[in-house]
Amino acid sequence: MDLFQDTDERKPLIPHPNPVSKPPNGTDWITTSVPSARTDEQALLTSILTKTAQNIIDVSAADSVMMEQHEYMDKARQYSTKLAVLSNSLPQKKALTLPSLTSQPHQVLASDLVPYSDVQQVSKIAAYAYSAISQIKVDAKEELVVQFAIP
Amino acid sequence: PVSLLAQSDTGSGFQTAALTAGLDRIPDQLGYLVISEDGVLASAGELENDEHTAGVMMQMVRTASRFRLAGSAEPPFKRMSVILEDFVYVVTVSGQKVFVVKRQNNQQEPISV
Repeated sequence: MDLFQDTDERKPLIPHPNPVSKPPNGTDWITTSVPSARTDEQALLTSILTKTAQNIIDVSAADSVMMEQHEYMDKARQYSTKLAVLSNSLPQKKALTLPSLTSQPHQVLASDLVPYSDVQQVSKIAAYAYSAISQIKVDAKEELVVQFAIP
Repeated sequence: PVSLLAQSDTGSGFQTAALTAGLDRIPDQLGYLVISEDGVLASAGELENDEHTAGVMMQMVRTASRFRLAGSAEPPFKRMSVILEDFVYVVTVSGQKVFVVKRQNNQQEPISV
């Protein structure tokens, strides 16, 4: 008996994108070969458990390693030395150090201020740019989402 | 003028004096800041102890320094001007230090008579 078509509890919430009502050659799909829904659910839960067990490391369950005090200290020192070596070879956090703009900062800063006409011109250009950008809009010509219909 | 570097035990007061000497002679200056990656090295006038303005200017000049004109590896400017109605902040970078000077804005709208 093929339960796939009959019971509502087996109907997927989202219809399969390529709906095929019958499996080929009369054989059942693998998922529906088990007659009992309960056993199937059990198998699903077991597979989830197995996957989780494979992907997660439970540190509390590991056997505790018995180590001498000096062994532990040696290891700690070894790790911290290694860490120090690695940190030094890492790129500096401020990789973008400011490039020098001039070798004459006092002269540059004391020079004449930007002329008012230049400031006006830049403001005008910026205003035009702002106006142009605010007029950008989508010109919808066709439907974006279409239904494929198979005749 | 406050020279913060001179108050700390790193560096020397002489170095800071060299940095700031020319700044207070800048025409119509109202104050200045000298900033390094570690913080404010010196400040004076209306910008004395103004960490907030220092922070803002650092961010602005850092952003502006990333601009490049096509085909060039250098920032395309020597000085950044933040122009407000009554005053202007002029900013430049030299030898890993950012210089900010607040100047009177003498470039006003010309009055036609």
